[in-house]
Amino acid sequence: MKKFLALLLAVLMLASILVACGGGGDKKTSDGGDASIDIEDGAKLLVWAPDKAIDLTKELCEAFKKEHSDKNITIDVQVQSESEAATQVLNDKDAAADVFGFASDQFNKLMTANALAPVFDPDDIIDRNSEASVKAATGSDGALYAFPETDDNGYFLVYDKSIISDEQAASFEGILEACRKAGKKFVMDAGNGYYSCIFIFTGGLTLEGTDAEGTQQFNSYDEEAVVDSLEAFANLFHDYSDVFLSSEVAKIPTGMAADPQIVAAGIDGTWDTNAIKEALGDNYGAAKLPTVKIKGEDKQMISLHGYKLIGVNAVSEYPNAAQALADFLTNEESQIKRAEGLGWGPSNTKAKEDKSVTDSPSISAALAQSENSVAQVNMSDTFWSPMATLGNTLWKDKDYSRDTIKANFQKTIASIKDE
Amino acid sequence: MIKSYKARRTVVNALIYVLLGGLGLIWVSPLVYLVMHSFRGGKAELATTIIPKEWTLDNYAKVFSPPDPNVVNFPQWFMNTFIIAIFSCIISTLAVLMVSYAFSRLRFKARKPLINVGMILGMFPGFMTMIAIYYLMKAMGLLAMPKVALIICYSAGAGLGYQISKGFFDTIPRALDEAATIDGATRNQIFWKIILPMSKPILVYTVLTSFIGPWTDFILAKIIVGAQGPEHYTVAIGLQKLVGLEYKSQHYREFLAGSVIVAVPITALFLFMQRYYVEGVTAGGVKG
Amino acid sequence: MKYIDYVQLNPFQKIWYNLKTFFIALPGNIVKICKAIGRFFKKLGLGIGKGVAGYFSRFVKGDWATKLSYIIMGFGNMMKGQIVKGLIFLATEVAFIAFMIFFGANKIYNLGFFSGGTIGFNGEDYWVDKDGVSIAISHGRPVAHVRADDSMQLLLYGVMTLIIIAVFLVIYFASVKSAYKVEQQVAAGEKPATFGQEMKAFADEKFHITLLSFPCLTISLFTIMPLIFMILIAFTNYTKSTPFFGWVGLQTFSEVFQTTGGANKGETFIELTKWTLLWAVCATVLNYILGMIVALLINKKGIKLKALWRTMFVITVAVPQFVSLLLMQQMLEGNEFGAINQLLKGLGWLASDGGTVQYIDFLGNANKWIPRLTVIVVNIWVGIPYTILITSGILMNIPADLYESATIDGAGPTRTFFSITLPYMLFVTTPYLITTFIGNINNFNVIYLLVGEQSSVDLHNAGYTDLLVTWLFRMSTSTGEYNTAAAVGILVFIVCATVSLLTFNLTKSAKNEEEFS
Repeated sequence: MKKFLALLLAVLMLASILVACGGGGDKKTSDGGDASIDIEDGAKLLVWAPDKAIDLTKELCEAFKKEHSDKNITIDVQVQSESEAATQVLNDKDAAADVFGFASDQFNKLMTANALAPVFDPDDIIDRNSEASVKAATGSDGALYAFPETDDNGYFLVYDKSIISDEQAASFEGILEACRKAGKKFVMDAGNGYYSCIFIFTGGLTLEGTDAEGTQQFNSYDEEAVVDSLEAFANLFHDYSDVFLSSEVAKIPTGMAADPQIVAAGIDGTWDTNAIKEALGDNYGAAKLPTVKIKGEDKQMISLHGYKLIGVNAVSEYPNAAQALADFLTNEESQIKRAEGLGWGPSNTKAKEDKSVTDSPSISAALAQSENSVAQVNMSDTFWSPMATLGNTLWKDKDYSRDTIKANFQKTIASIKDE
Repeated sequence: MIKSYKARRTVVNALIYVLLGGLGLIWVSPLVYLVMHSFRGGKAELATTIIPKEWTLDNYAKVFSPPDPNVVNFPQWFMNTFIIAIFSCIISTLAVLMVSYAFSRLRFKARKPLINVGMILGMFPGFMTMIAIYYLMKAMGLLAMPKVALIICYSAGAGLGYQISKGFFDTIPRALDEAATIDGATRNQIFWKIILPMSKPILVYTVLTSFIGPWTDFILAKIIVGAQGPEHYTVAIGLQKLVGLEYKSQHYREFLAGSVIVAVPITALFLFMQRYYVEGVTAGGVKG
Repeated sequence: MKYIDYVQLNPFQKIWYNLKTFFIALPGNIVKICKAIGRFFKKLGLGIGKGVAGYFSRFVKGDWATKLSYIIMGFGNMMKGQIVKGLIFLATEVAFIAFMIFFGANKIYNLGFFSGGTIGFNGEDYWVDKDGVSIAISHGRPVAHVRADDSMQLLLYGVMTLIIIAVFLVIYFASVKSAYKVEQQVAAGEKPATFGQEMKAFADEKFHITLLSFPCLTISLFTIMPLIFMILIAFTNYTKSTPFFGWVGLQTFSEVFQTTGGANKGETFIELTKWTLLWAVCATVLNYILGMIVALLINKKGIKLKALWRTMFVITVAVPQFVSLLLMQQMLEGNEFGAINQLLKGLGWLASDGGTVQYIDFLGNANKWIPRLTVIVVNIWVGIPYTILITSGILMNIPADLYESATIDGAGPTRTFFSITLPYMLFVTTPYLITTFIGNINNFNVIYLLVGEQSSVDLHNAGYTDLLVTWLFRMSTSTGEYNTAAAVGILVFIVCATVSLLTFNLTKSAKNEEEFS
């Protein structure tokens, strides 16, 4: 009888767990539909949207339900940030939403893990969205795996118009000079790989996806040209060390709102637009990134640019309803509503022409910058920290001779490739 | 001679006052900074000066009645944490007392091996098992009930924290037990009627530490409720979200105000119970 | 050396002496530990041998009912009148057999010990068309999605099943033993205990079972089982890239020690282990000594407002660390936004270079030692209040005559501290020190909240301030190298276990030498 009860209890508990889950661990198949999208009757869908877009998403889902009122669809919309969504989906596909918004840099991870259902009717989606955003949603097998939602997931130049004129804002040197004159700072997060990759992209290096082992691939870049670019930035940072400030981007709105004002310009994205507008009011200016003088020549700064996509969970129980909803959430009207309500730049080519888009400086800036960018897709996890370190060495290190920069650059590439 | 001795003592004491004052200031300064900036007004979200220039209660108003509950829903987070803390506190306290009493007062064959197992388990880094715990919770279907899952997470292993209260029980003379046994009391009765009433310090200590736990944990909670919406967050995850990239430039002061609201009751509780805490921990934690 | 000689040494000689004895005793201690481990296994082996021998001898000696109990559990008990107990045994057996047939056997098979070496069998995730043929997706419409086996889940079920088998075996042996015992009792003319009587014993002589069964159950389910599970993960090739994985033996460990190539795991492991140990020593010793000095100052005779002083320090314990440390991170920023830098600038303590103020980058990973120093200093802020809490009471208990005689001998405060206070405190608080040391090796909060996830070029997914535990955490969250993380966890355990075994032995011997009071 010793320990008997305890053991029995343990066994019963364990056994009940196993019995309860016995069915769940087996192969599960989900049926697709036939020729046309045939929404399942009584479909129950879970949607993940970022918190700021939750109300709008709920509204759009209601509209979708109304459109298909004969199908008796239930939709539950939950908050999940776009940067977290992929992690959560990969963690547990069963617990994840049927339809979820995510940032394009997560696309590769999701696709290789087979977490995304292919788009059933891709032709229409390909037609109505910008080429770049479609490319960001296309897998290595050539099939479309997600619905483009925005074209704006990147950063651009924000500045105080009362300090920096629009002409000055066209070149990095002009901005720094204007800042110096006003005794204000220029802020960017040079110690973050997301921003510091500007320094190498401007030198002509671009990303070419990852190979089968997940190693980052680059184009056949001219090493000297990249080092030229890095050197030009390093020189500027040191020449203007009283003006240039590397810090987290949240310091840009704060520094602009501070009394006395500390920051006059910076490189920031749409997530801070509201805060910056509040700080600067009518003086709010936004534009694509400036040019920078490399070897006497003005070169456009090239950024890393992402897209927001909406994906359908590969194991969704109602794949047709989910596809139809994702399609609806990314159509022209929905994208315009997002541009109006949230300030998100559309990927839909027609929506891009809408007044709400052309009138907004930040959306226009983001869309203009997207034309001078490297797409943030198929990136290896090893890209970020070496890139961040390289960015830091450019402005922090006392020794910024060409040889050192070149050595650091080579080290960075080797670390990214995990050699 | 006596006079100079006295004078020297005054000088030494004065020096000690200065030293203690200085150190004390350093120690409380982050807290003062926290409270100060939670009342900071103005347009800038982050601090730009050490002492704020404008003062406001807006941050607290925003925390108590959030303008957009989808983003910041502090009252809900507070309630979630409170419920979790109450339940895990009750279960943990029971478990700790049961284990430590058994190890301290009862003698049985498995005692030594079990104590050793407890010691060995304590040497594995806690985070190692977090993925496994997630899968376990999933297998038990508890992810849909994040509160229950978190209560289990916080209280299931509580029995392993028996050392301090075992140390405390060890200091209660065994003669008491023996006398009671002669009077015909069972061990069950001894535990409830004799030992427990004498264990107020350790009881308070255990209750306090297990109640505070859920308010401060931001790792396990993140893993368990990360896939759920913000309505299931605990204060720790909710507040941490506010200092993330997307929120910092607009919600940082709410983070500060929320932190003050969490810190004040815990601090009050702690100061109020400090005497018991010290008694418990010195009696239990540090004998040879 | 006799105690009387020891007391007369100066503090440095004492430390030297202690260190010396520690290292001289080290080989002996290691041998002792190895012997103890050997003894443990010998005892274990003997115990098992005895159990098995008993198992067979009882079969030979027992009557037919007992013999039958070897196949039908509880039969012996039922025949001798212990109906309820016997039925419980029988029910357990039936339940176990049913469980094994319907679930268990399959779960064990899935573990892949007997086939293939992978956990589960289907490693592919693919779509099929109407006829169930796998298709590549280009512009066609798939009909169904076949999922790869989720090895993680299968492993979990497998481990659970193994545990259930183990538990069943224990019950089985207990039942056999119980059948024999009851036979003996009946043979001796005693009346076998009724079920009610046996239950009553749980409130008294078997009270420990009542007390411990619930905590043991939850601990085994939510602590031990996940631990077994993660230890097993260290021997697989599980990373985030695929849910399907298999056994690879010691390969993960050899990767952790591999030192070829840039930013490799091997050099990172060595660098971080060195720093973890250095950090643990600094954090423990500094907090201990400094905290005790502050406690002495507060408790010194003639100092007023003791409660106020103590509260000023202790109040910091109550504020959640994720608040205080995230705030400190902001205060320590290396530019004009950081409060500390603003303060230093205001005091004019910052160097300036051609009009530009050189702010101190307290937490940046550009330099190896500045952030390391910063975290140690911040940890003093975190740790001293705890030391004050713990030591205040004990400090007052130091016999006053010890101090008096020291003062008569003309000893100053420094000498009394090192020759009376410190040895006394060390004597009383060694267990606390050991747990603090282990705690510091696993001190996640201070590093992670303060520094965040910084990286340096020559380390694999780690920064200079990362401890082994934060490295483990980063590998399992950001890059999903679950198997490496599990392997590092096991190595951390080995480090902790070694340290505590060695120090434990030291204090045992030290205690005998330094009897106070």
